[in-house]
Amino acid sequence: MRTRLLNSIGAVGVIVSVFMFLKPMGVTVAQEGSTTSTPTPKTVTSLKTPWGEPDLQGIWTDESDTPLQRPAKYANQEFFTEAQRAELDKERAALLGRDKRVERGTELDVAGAYNSVFMSMKRTGARTSLVVDPPNGRIPPLTPEAQKIAAADREFRLALLQSTETCKSKSVACAGGNYNPTPSPRRAERPARYNTARMNRHDGPEDGALPDRCLTGGLPEFGTAYGGSFRRIVQTPGGISMFYDVGQGQGWQRNIVMNASPHLPANIRQWFGDSRGHWEGNTLVIDVTNFSPKTDFRGSREKLHLIERWTRTSPTTLEYEVTIEDPTVWTRPWTVKQELTKQTEQENRIYYEPRCVEGNYAFPSMMLAARRDDLAFAQGQGPDPATKDNATDFVGVEDDPLQ
Amino acid sequence: MRRRFSGSMIAVAIVAAAVGAIVSMSITRTSAQAPAAAPISRPARIGGKPNLSGIWQANNEANWDLQAHAALPAAVTQPGVYPYDYARVPAAPVLALGAAGAVPGSLGVVQGDGQIPYKPEALLVKKENAEHWIDRDPELKCYLPGIPRAMYMPYPFQITQSTNKIHMAYEFSNTARTIHLDKVAGPPDDTWMGHSVGHWDGDTLVVDVTNFNDRSWFDRAGNFHSDALHLTERFTLKSPDLIWYEANIEDPKVFTRPWRIAMPLYRRAEPNMQLLEFRCNEFVEEFMYGGLRKQQLVKHWEGETMAVDITRKVPSGDKFYDWYGGK
Amino acid sequence: MRDRFSRSIITVAIAAVAAGAILSVSITRTSAQTQTASGRTPAASAKSSATSAAALKTSWGEPDLQGIWTDESDTPLQRSPKYANQEFFTDAQRAELDKERASLLGRDRRVERGTELDVAGAYNAQFMSVKHTGARTSLIVDPPNGRIPPLTPEAQKIAAADREFRLALLQSTETCKNKSVGCAGGKYDPTPSPRFAELPPRYNTARMNRRNNPEDGALPDRCLTGGLPEFGGATGSFRRIVQTPGGITMFYDVGQGQGWQRNIVMNGSPHLPASIRQWYGDSRGHWEGNTLVIDVTNFSAKTDYQGSRENLHLVERWTRTGPNSLEYVVTIEDTTVWTRPWTVKQEFTKQSDEENGVYYEPRCIEGNYASPGLMRGQRMAEAAFARGEGPDPRLSDNATDFVGVEDDPLQ
Repeated sequence: MRTRLLNSIGAVGVIVSVFMFLKPMGVTVAQEGSTTSTPTPKTVTSLKTPWGEPDLQGIWTDESDTPLQRPAKYANQEFFTEAQRAELDKERAALLGRDKRVERGTELDVAGAYNSVFMSMKRTGARTSLVVDPPNGRIPPLTPEAQKIAAADREFRLALLQSTETCKSKSVACAGGNYNPTPSPRRAERPARYNTARMNRHDGPEDGALPDRCLTGGLPEFGTAYGGSFRRIVQTPGGISMFYDVGQGQGWQRNIVMNASPHLPANIRQWFGDSRGHWEGNTLVIDVTNFSPKTDFRGSREKLHLIERWTRTSPTTLEYEVTIEDPTVWTRPWTVKQELTKQTEQENRIYYEPRCVEGNYAFPSMMLAARRDDLAFAQGQGPDPATKDNATDFVGVEDDPLQ
Repeated sequence: MRRRFSGSMIAVAIVAAAVGAIVSMSITRTSAQAPAAAPISRPARIGGKPNLSGIWQANNEANWDLQAHAALPAAVTQPGVYPYDYARVPAAPVLALGAAGAVPGSLGVVQGDGQIPYKPEALLVKKENAEHWIDRDPELKCYLPGIPRAMYMPYPFQITQSTNKIHMAYEFSNTARTIHLDKVAGPPDDTWMGHSVGHWDGDTLVVDVTNFNDRSWFDRAGNFHSDALHLTERFTLKSPDLIWYEANIEDPKVFTRPWRIAMPLYRRAEPNMQLLEFRCNEFVEEFMYGGLRKQQLVKHWEGETMAVDITRKVPSGDKFYDWYGGK
Repeated sequence: MRDRFSRSIITVAIAAVAAGAILSVSITRTSAQTQTASGRTPAASAKSSATSAAALKTSWGEPDLQGIWTDESDTPLQRSPKYANQEFFTDAQRAELDKERASLLGRDRRVERGTELDVAGAYNAQFMSVKHTGARTSLIVDPPNGRIPPLTPEAQKIAAADREFRLALLQSTETCKNKSVGCAGGKYDPTPSPRFAELPPRYNTARMNRRNNPEDGALPDRCLTGGLPEFGGATGSFRRIVQTPGGITMFYDVGQGQGWQRNIVMNGSPHLPASIRQWYGDSRGHWEGNTLVIDVTNFSAKTDYQGSRENLHLVERWTRTGPNSLEYVVTIEDTTVWTRPWTVKQEFTKQSDEENGVYYEPRCIEGNYASPGLMRGQRMAEAAFARGEGPDPRLSDNATDFVGVEDDPLQ
């Protein structure tokens, strides 16, 4: 009997060592610029974890720039031609030397703070848009209700700007608004919905934009120009966790529930929703609901519903697809497809330190400045703060031909 | 070599059988692990039943609120800038604690549909309790927490299991209860902690608890009961370090039907774990009686961004009686 | 049958060895472990010696101390000097004492109605028990004269200073004006003492004639009483012991909602670090033959036992002496208070499990109207005095009580 026991121990020992040997390879490929021109989703069955699941592990990012929506001139053209890409690369490279804000000395200038060192400009991607459905590559129309809400919201923000230079000089940031030297009485109002974006008032923390409050980061995450978008995926039998690093200390975690239990009860709402996943063949399908009404994705709040599909398409690529729906906001669901490229483990170029709050000097400073402006004005020693624009920025960004 | 070992085992076994005692062998440990104390071996069974003895602790948020809830800004909140529930802010009593005063989210421990089936008028009482939590939660006064609350307060408790009695001693205050496995007369008066009578149903300890007064709460969310409360608890050892605990809760004066809570209880596996005292009735004297001092003692606190001033109030008339000991 | 049992043990043992695991065998219970009904009369032998009752074991082979235990007779802590070194009463002396003490039962044990110290018969014979006189002349068995050893000079000074302070708070009251025993060692002075504005010399634990703060209250009034060693008082003293292999817990019920728990640590580990002080100390136990020996240290500086505070050290010895009796011996020492250790011996009688006459509900605080009431009363009296509508509260004695207790010939 003892001999049998030892035998089984030995057997286990052998199997373990075999698994160690089979640890995923293909992690050393350098990541300079994508080379494939027309990627098609191939399922790669040999890339599995030691316990036999498709292996999505690693640090992943989109190595090229692709606009969310397709510029109208491309109609239903899904991919750029090589010539188009080269031309775009040339035009965009010329932007690199320029400061991306308006002229020095104007109110909106921030002294070159956000220059090309801070913001990345990557090569133009293969696709004409991240949106692949509808076929025109553009987000579907808003519902009448959502249009109303967006209009009311815009009206409110414009009212807060109406006495500023921005509106006086008819800057694009005041589009749809008008100038009025008398500050709007709406400055005493609460916004119609929970505020998430920058507005020209700093009466309290809730007047701040979510990013200013270190409450940003959210799903779906496609990346922006402001610092990249990296996700590290680690798997275990029955569990997957993803750590997102989107720069500016605004990272977050996702712990995908894989045990087929139902979504959280409806009364529990979360900033990053509730992610429930399962495997369909080689694709990880994640259903995300239970968003908080304090989140906002292009107008969609607590009714946002995402269905993600993650597929490892090669040793160095992962295809991320997400269908986005909110029947109270868009007239139909829409789908985004993005190809992510694996980054080297050893270089470990992901700085997961969501330490936005720990260094958030900006936010309290904006409020302190506002309180001082209020006081100075009350003492007759300063202008009416309502005539200052402390909201608008990045007026020059629209220069990027890719956006 | 095998035969020699068996020989010694036989001798030990015979002696053990003769005195009708348990034979337990000390654990063979590698030297690197030997603790300072000689570990007392704990038999897996006593009297043929699973041995639940040891120090245990719930590890969940049930003491905050039995029901599922998202995280809250604070234990006491007030309306924020927006009139929405999800935009409230911490209120004065707890503001200075920052995130330490927040309430973590929870999947809840109420089984079935997660609802607590209050009668309509009782639901109003629960809401009022929650609103007046600081003034009314008996926990804040270091009062006896009752059962089941003592089972899931965030402090350890010790089970001492014998053959006819089981003691549960809780670290909070001097809370304790005796579970009688034999036949006994009931208590001479109502109780905060109930009268617990247990029996084994296979390997599950089933405890019937009655004779409650109506003074304790279930949690910090204002969930309460009447003196008609009747519990049926079930303790099942799922693994050496895990008890699965369930309580069936009946109270026809307050709820429209029985309902259940369930949760794991984890062993405090530290080698030299023992209960320490948590004699909070001394700690709450300032909270309860500070307004009766000749000179107010706790008045003002100043941090770097906030100063807190305290004004004491002494309830008058009947309210004095109520606040200090009555309802 | 025994052969089969042994053989099954062998098989299990071999498998255990092979797997390198621990072996634990389920208990075979002997049937005669049940506790018999309690006796209400004191144990038969007047001279109880610690006869080891080897047969009374738990089903896992430890001495069985389980049950509800109390001292069914009254024995004073210290021996009256007239008995010198006599350890036990004669039967005649016991009978005489029973006769005298029974006559106390009808009397209200406070001073006459209408005096300031009267509490309208609140604590009469219904509330306080008078039990049969016990066999011993004192609970103290060592020193041989049955009395607590002398205090150290340091402890005497501390006690004197404490007494002086309390007397100062009484000096303007009727109690001192009438030279009541409650003012012994003090004097009367119509002007209230300036010491009313002082802190007591040490952390206060006893009743005093001031209620400026909760901390001016006696520990019992603050629901902070109960403590070790526990020998019993007028409101009863019950301890329920439950054992498990490697563990013992005791729940004490001493009436008035002042119960507490003791969880005896039995694993041989050292006492808590010196920085951790507890109201009931730290109890560490081990078996010496049939006796449970418990060493108790780490007392808090807020406890007080006859003047001993954080340096109190107890060594208890619990021995089951018969089906219905348990002998409790405790050696008490504090080198800063007493010139030598001293030992108490007490015999407990088992109470019926079925009658379950223990009400362990330490719910003192839940009904503590007295403590806030006393303070509120003082605040109202002070306010009235400030408005010129009442006497100076410092002229009232709100501390002294039980002036009649010294009538008990046994105390």
